[in-house]
Amino acid sequence: MALEPPADSRTPRDELADTTAHGLLYLRRLRQRQLTLSILALVAFGALVGVLPLAIDLLPALRRIHLLGVPVAIWLVVVPASPVFLALAILYTRRADTLDEDFRELVRRR
Amino acid sequence: MIAILAVAGVTVGTLGLGALGIRLARTTSDLLVASRAVTPWWNAAAISGEYLSAASFLGIAGLEMQNGTTALWQSLGFTAGYLALLLFVAAPLRRFGSYTIPDFAEARLRSPRLRGLVSVGVLLIAGFYLVPQLKGAGLTLGVVTGAPYFVGVLAVGLVVAINVALGGMRGITYVQAFQFWLKVFAIAVPACLLLIHLGGLPARAALFGDRLPSAGPHGLVVRLGSPQPVTFPASTPYAITPLRGGAAHAFRAAAGARVTLPAGLLRLPAGAAVPVATGTQALRGSEWATPVGGSGERSPVFVYSLLIATFLGTMGLPHILVRFYTNPDGPAARRTTVRVLGLLGVFYLFPGVYGALGRALTPQLYITGSTDTVVLRLPQAAWPGTVGNVLGAITAAGAFAAFLSTSSGLLVSISGTISHDVWPRLARASANTSTVRRRRFRTAAALGMVAPIVVAFFAQGIDIGLLVGWAFALAASTFCPLFLLGIWWPGLTARGAAVGMVAGGVVATAGILIGIALAEPTGLAGALLAQPALVSVPIAFVAMIAVSLRSTEHFVPDAEMLALHAPEGLDLPDLGVRDPFVLGPRAAG
Repeated sequence: MALEPPADSRTPRDELADTTAHGLLYLRRLRQRQLTLSILALVAFGALVGVLPLAIDLLPALRRIHLLGVPVAIWLVVVPASPVFLALAILYTRRADTLDEDFRELVRRR
Repeated sequence: MIAILAVAGVTVGTLGLGALGIRLARTTSDLLVASRAVTPWWNAAAISGEYLSAASFLGIAGLEMQNGTTALWQSLGFTAGYLALLLFVAAPLRRFGSYTIPDFAEARLRSPRLRGLVSVGVLLIAGFYLVPQLKGAGLTLGVVTGAPYFVGVLAVGLVVAINVALGGMRGITYVQAFQFWLKVFAIAVPACLLLIHLGGLPARAALFGDRLPSAGPHGLVVRLGSPQPVTFPASTPYAITPLRGGAAHAFRAAAGARVTLPAGLLRLPAGAAVPVATGTQALRGSEWATPVGGSGERSPVFVYSLLIATFLGTMGLPHILVRFYTNPDGPAARRTTVRVLGLLGVFYLFPGVYGALGRALTPQLYITGSTDTVVLRLPQAAWPGTVGNVLGAITAAGAFAAFLSTSSGLLVSISGTISHDVWPRLARASANTSTVRRRRFRTAAALGMVAPIVVAFFAQGIDIGLLVGWAFALAASTFCPLFLLGIWWPGLTARGAAVGMVAGGVVATAGILIGIALAEPTGLAGALLAQPALVSVPIAFVAMIAVSLRSTEHFVPDAEMLALHAPEGLDLPDLGVRDPFVLGPRAAG
C-alpha cells in the first residue's frame, strides 16, 4: 500500500488500467449499457422488418393491391427495409459513440 | 464480342489495380490488414464489393425466376447481416485487435486448442463459398464466349490467386472498392434502361395473374444441344427439328406429361405454356408473385429460417470479418458498417428486376433449367440488336467482377489461416521471420486455390444457392454464437464454445444433407431441412451456454473484457490480444 499513490489522486481510469474490482465495475456498467442499446435496436429491427413475412402471410390484401403495377407485398420485400436499416444504424452509432464518450469523461474525472 | 472485351477489361483492370497494390505492400502487416489505414468510405465500398458475390449478382435473379419472389428475401437478409454485425460485433472486435477468427477464439478463451477447431471452420466455410464463385465464372464465360466450363473456372482461379499472392489485402482493398461500383453500375443501368425500353413490366398475366410462363406472340424456338427431360404443365403442341436438318416432327403433350426432348430445334406456338426442366416446378403468376405463403420453401418458417441464417451468418463469414481489422479503431468500424448498409441497399434494389423480366421474356431458360444465367441473357432477349449486346456485355462484366472480388476476399482468408494458423503448427522448428511469413502467405494463396478449383470442376451440376445457403447456415450456427457470447458474456468457456460450434455445425450440415438425400421433402420438415438455421442456431447457443455453465474452468476474462469494451483514448495498457504482425514476432509454436 505504501508504494501506491494516495487514493484521492487515483482516477477511475487508473483503476481501469490496473483492472481493479473498482475499475471493472465501471467497465461492466458500460458493457451492459452498450448491450441494452444493441438489444433495443434489435427489437426495433424485429418490430419494423422482422414482422414483414408474417404480415404478408396473414394479410392477403397486400398481394392483391397493386402499386405502379406491382403487388404491394413485393414492394414491401424489396424497398423499405434498406432505409430502415440505415436509419437504425445511424441512430445506433450516434448513441453508442455517445455512451463511449460519456464513459471516457466519467473515468477521467478525479 | 463486346462482352468478351468487357470481361477482359474487368480482368485486366483487376490485375492492374492489384499491381498498384504490390508496390505498396511492403510488410506482412500490409499484406494482411493494409496496415489499418483505410478510410471508412474506401473500406465500406471494399466490404460491399467483396460481399456481392455470384449469389447476389446472378443467384437472386435466377432463383426469383425459378421459385418466385420468395427469393427476394435473400437480398433483405444479405443486407440485414450487416446490422447484426454493427450492433454486436464491429466495434468490440476491432478494439480487441485480433485479426482472424482463430486469433479471436484463442485470445478470448485462452485456448490454443480451440484455435485449431476454428481454423478448420474457417477453411470449410471459405472453401465452400469459393466453389460456387468459380462455378459462376465457368457458366458466365460459357454464355459469353461459348468456352467450355473449365476455362472460366481456371481463368478466375488463376487471376485471383496471382492477385492475392502478390498484392495481398492492400491491393485488394482498392480492387474491391472499384469492383463494388462496377457491380452497382452493371446491375442498375441495364435494369433501368430495359424497363424504360419495355415501358414497364411486360406479360403481366404471367407475372401476377394466373398464367404460366408462355411463349411470346411469335412463338418460341429453342435450340437444345442435348436431350432434355422436361415436364409439360399444360397440354401443348410442339415440334422438333433434328439439328442436322430433316423434317420437323409434330407432337402434342398432355398436361403433366414428362417427356425427354431429343436434341434439336424445339418450336412452341404463340402463347403455349413452356415445359420446365424436370425437378423444377411451373408456377402460375399469382403463386410466383407471393413472397411468402403456403408450404415448403414458400412457408413463413422457411423465410424466417433463411432470414436468421443470413442475419446471423454474415458476421461469421471469414472474408468479411477480416476486413473490419483494416479500420483504425472501434468507432471507425461502426462508421464503416453504416456505410456498407447504405451501399448494399442500393445494389439490392435491382436484381429482382431481372427475375421478373426473365419470367416474361426468356421463358426458354425454364426448359433447360438454366435460370441462373438470366441476368446475362436477358438484355439480348429484351432488346435485340446493338443496345442489347452492349447491355449484356455490361452485366457479364459485372458478374465477372462479382466472382473476382468475392474469390479474392475468400482466398485472403484461406491463405491467412493456412500461413498463420496451420503452417506454424506443422513447422514448429523453422524460423518465423517476416520474410518467412510473407513467403508462407504467398505460397498459401497459390495452394489455397487448388482444392476449390478441383471441386468446382466436379460441381458443375450443384446449385449455387445450395452451397451459399449452406455456408451461411454453417457460419450462423458456429461463429455467430462464438462472437455474440464471447464478446458479451464473460462466462463463456473454451469447452462450451467448442461443444456449441460442433453441435451447431453438425446439425446444420446434417439437415441439408438429409434434405438432399430425401430429394426435396415438403411441409414443415422440408422447409427446415432446406434451411436448418432456425433449429441449428438455437442449439448452438444453448449448447455453448449450458456447457460453459457446467465446466470447471475458473478464469475471469477481465483483461479480455477490457480490451473488447473500453473506448479508445484512455491510454490503457495493452491488455488484449497482442497483434503478432504489428507488435512483434510471435514465438514460434
